[in-house]
Amino acid sequence: MEILQHLLTGFEIALSLKNLIFCFMGVTLGTLIGVLPGIGPVTGVAILIPITFGMDATTAIITMAGVYYGAMYGGSTTSILLNVPGESSSVMTTLDGYQMALKGRAGPALGMAAISSFIAGTFSIIMLSWIAPVLADFAVAFGPPEYFALTFMGLTMVTSLAGDSLIKGFMSGVFGLLLACVGVDAISGSPRFIFGSIYLLDGVGFIGVAVGLFALAEVLVNIEEPLKQVFVKTKLNMKNLFPNRQDWKDSAGALWRGSILGFFVGVLPGAGATVASFLSYAAEKKLSKHPEKFGTGVIEGVAGPEGANNSAAGGAMVPLLTLGIPGSGTTAVLMGALLIHGIRPGPLLFNEHPEVVWGLIASMYIGNVLLLILNLPLVGFWVSFLKVPYNILMPLIVTISAVGVFATDNNIFDMWIMFGAGIVGYVMRKLDFPAAPVVLALVLGPMVERSLRQSLTISHGDLSIFFTRPISAVLTIFALLSLFTPLVRKFWRNYRRAKME
Amino acid sequence: MRRADQVTGIVMLVFSLTVAYTSWQMPQRVEFGPGMGFLPFWLAVIMAVLSVLLLFHASVRKSASVGNPFPAPRALLNVGMVIAGLGAYIAVLDTAGFAVSTVVYIAYLVSVVQKERWLKSALISLLSTAGLYIVFQILLEVKLPKNIFGF
Repeated sequence: MEILQHLLTGFEIALSLKNLIFCFMGVTLGTLIGVLPGIGPVTGVAILIPITFGMDATTAIITMAGVYYGAMYGGSTTSILLNVPGESSSVMTTLDGYQMALKGRAGPALGMAAISSFIAGTFSIIMLSWIAPVLADFAVAFGPPEYFALTFMGLTMVTSLAGDSLIKGFMSGVFGLLLACVGVDAISGSPRFIFGSIYLLDGVGFIGVAVGLFALAEVLVNIEEPLKQVFVKTKLNMKNLFPNRQDWKDSAGALWRGSILGFFVGVLPGAGATVASFLSYAAEKKLSKHPEKFGTGVIEGVAGPEGANNSAAGGAMVPLLTLGIPGSGTTAVLMGALLIHGIRPGPLLFNEHPEVVWGLIASMYIGNVLLLILNLPLVGFWVSFLKVPYNILMPLIVTISAVGVFATDNNIFDMWIMFGAGIVGYVMRKLDFPAAPVVLALVLGPMVERSLRQSLTISHGDLSIFFTRPISAVLTIFALLSLFTPLVRKFWRNYRRAKME
Repeated sequence: MRRADQVTGIVMLVFSLTVAYTSWQMPQRVEFGPGMGFLPFWLAVIMAVLSVLLLFHASVRKSASVGNPFPAPRALLNVGMVIAGLGAYIAVLDTAGFAVSTVVYIAYLVSVVQKERWLKSALISLLSTAGLYIVFQILLEVKLPKNIFGF
């Protein structure tokens, strides 16, 4: 009952005219970013931080979260019509979605993508509303050792799941932690690694790093070779967007399985929407009575992954809001944005800033309804955006990023940080180093260091403190185990291959 | 990729040893617990170990993919032009002012990098700059840099 009470308050906040307008702007922008290949949700949210800087925290987070889950809707459009995934999370949708479009069934594919996104998205927000407060209550009693174990686990899980090479993932993570060490040491108050620059006293600017590593690096990768786009010509109107009765029958199972799977995968740090859509597709193919038809344009191959990626976006909010542990690049950027607004995500957030949490959660219910309206009747409108050439888009992304980074602090130095981070980010992409762990570590760095040093101070330098307290012991063991997941995965793959042969 | 990984390994090894050395000079322990050099030192040590592993992995493993991860010179030139232009843009922004530098930079990106016609580039750059000005200066009330002529 208490939760309903909170939700009601949340709706009061989210339904205020200002928040409603910004929620609408967020999901609209999210859809647009989802539709446009070459610009993803991380980039979108990163560029938005400076723009939302002047708003109050609730409005800012409502807008940015809208971009995040809005992009999950939009991503399917290009997958279906162009065979180009708008986001990594809609890669699976290309397999059957594009085939459906080739068979002249683009309408039902787009319709089912939007409807299953809506159902799964709403499902995951309901789960979020019920699970998050319980988890936050549980985590209130955490002390420094638990926090260290928690952040450590978040970092290892994200790192071990990011990219192909475990070594490279960890190098990215450690690099991010080192970046977080720059500036005045929070405990002793002395500066370190500032190279005589007063601008570095506050540390390496998070916005500059995030925008550089994601937005700028993405532009640099895209500028190498121009994107070639091949449209599937199709007539889109309201009538042929709706899936028929058979489509519904085929998709229902995939949809609810995708929703549940997506939510729990989203809650796990490191997995996120992309993994969720892969798993859902794999599960549907396995469970299907006609697995051989997958890849030829079956509608459940669209409904499952599209549901799963939206559900995962809601699930990813759980660890972010309750524990202050973002599980992906995008949520790390969201967390950085909250910190800039002076809001620290974590168990205390529910007591200290209930208006932010419940306003956000309520806005996600509203946002999903808005997205359904935006995406079903207006899909033709979004498709027309695909005709905006990258020639116009590219200079805009670069200059919006640059001016946005400047705008947060009226400081040219931040632009140089973005410049440097852009080059580093480009080289990292070329060398297969994942960028998400860097940003995650930069955001979590101060918390890691404070909790580690506080714990060791409590224990007089004895590392066993992380293993003698039960919660911290479980988390630390989880963290250590997650270091081995890539090895287990590799072993499993080799084992299966051997068995197949 | 193999060569690239070897180079990265060596560069990061040098980097981490430098960081380790610098942080070793900082207090490792204070009266009540670890000092401010503690975390960076151990991070640098971990980084050094990872760099050696990467180097080892790249040199020994046969499966490491061969080939250059960077694109052909022509594509790399595109990337370089965007970066160089951005560097110049940031460098002159404070003296040349937002309006002039942004118009020039966008026109440069569209015409020189993307090879569009001059007229089209000029139009795109003027419109985009005006849009950015409206959003940032007017709507968000950011004080964008001005030149001595006041724009």
